Amino acid sequence: MHPKLAEFLAGCRDEAPLQLGVVPFGMLYGIGAIQAGMPVWVAQLASAVVFAGAAQLVIVQMLAVGAGALPIGLTSGLLNLRHMLYSMSIAEHVRHLPRRWRLLLAYLLTDEAYAVAILRYQVTPAPDDRPDLRHWYFLGCGFTLWLTWQLSTAAGLLFGASVPAGWDIDFAVPLTFIALLAMLMKERAGQAAALVAALAALAFAALPYKLGLVVAIVLGLVAGVWASKRRGAER
Amino acid sequence: MSTAALLALLVVIGLVTFVYRYAMIGLFANRSLPGWLHALCRHIAPASFAALTAGELFIHGGEVVLALTAPKPWAALVAALVAWRTGNVLATIGAGMAALYVFKWLF
Repeated sequence: MHPKLAEFLAGCRDEAPLQLGVVPFGMLYGIGAIQAGMPVWVAQLASAVVFAGAAQLVIVQMLAVGAGALPIGLTSGLLNLRHMLYSMSIAEHVRHLPRRWRLLLAYLLTDEAYAVAILRYQVTPAPDDRPDLRHWYFLGCGFTLWLTWQLSTAAGLLFGASVPAGWDIDFAVPLTFIALLAMLMKERAGQAAALVAALAALAFAALPYKLGLVVAIVLGLVAGVWASKRRGAER
Repeated sequence: MSTAALLALLVVIGLVTFVYRYAMIGLFANRSLPGWLHALCRHIAPASFAALTAGELFIHGGEVVLALTAPKPWAALVAALVAWRTGNVLATIGAGMAALYVFKWLF
């Protein structure tokens, strides 16, 4: 097998288990979009244009209660701000790539694709003796997620109404995050960052426009840096 | 909201999101991250996912709900233990869902 294809398929394979959380997420979005009165084609298009699950879910929830464009725009703008941090953390790994690659990978930089790809970048160092093909792995992660997101949106739009609420399929979303978190906290000195971010998310829950999430992540970062400085294990 | 207005709003949100995602990749294409930013990077993923998870588990309609008989946080705890022991995403989701059904039946 060609090494590029092998890397791509490895990315697809490692991203695959996460789809168990992505499918209900996408379906919930589809169901929510119909309930909010969004035309089906607009809802499907949004999954390609916005391509950010948490934000899309919030958008349809806000539309359903009649929120205006400004609060919806502000909320999703703040909610998605964390992607800029993902972008920063992935920047050094994709610097050597041509611009078309960087644009494509930026478009695919979602929570779940980022989490799997960054683990690969941080755990598997670049090989010395042959070209670094880890961007193909990243592409495999992003592509898998993109495809599932489009298909599960469509599934939610088409037959979402027939999934009983008592099944709690939405619970698969935080479970995915918990699985990722356990892996990330094993690999990095991330415990302090995670703990403070989680507590701060609750402490600042009342802030409008999902501002609490932004504050929580920033405080988590500060705590993480402070903790690793204290341990003297910086870099 | 009219369909045209909604479409415009979604395109703006999509563009802003893409700008976020490309911003730092573009900015640091030809230079290295300063040391302090580099030190920050390793904490981005754990901080983000912890904040998202805490919100999913304990925030409902903008308010923090802490209840001893809420099944989801207990199921999340079981899932966290499985995740910690196995490092397996499928096992974590399976255990978490199973635990949720058990706790819902118990409480």
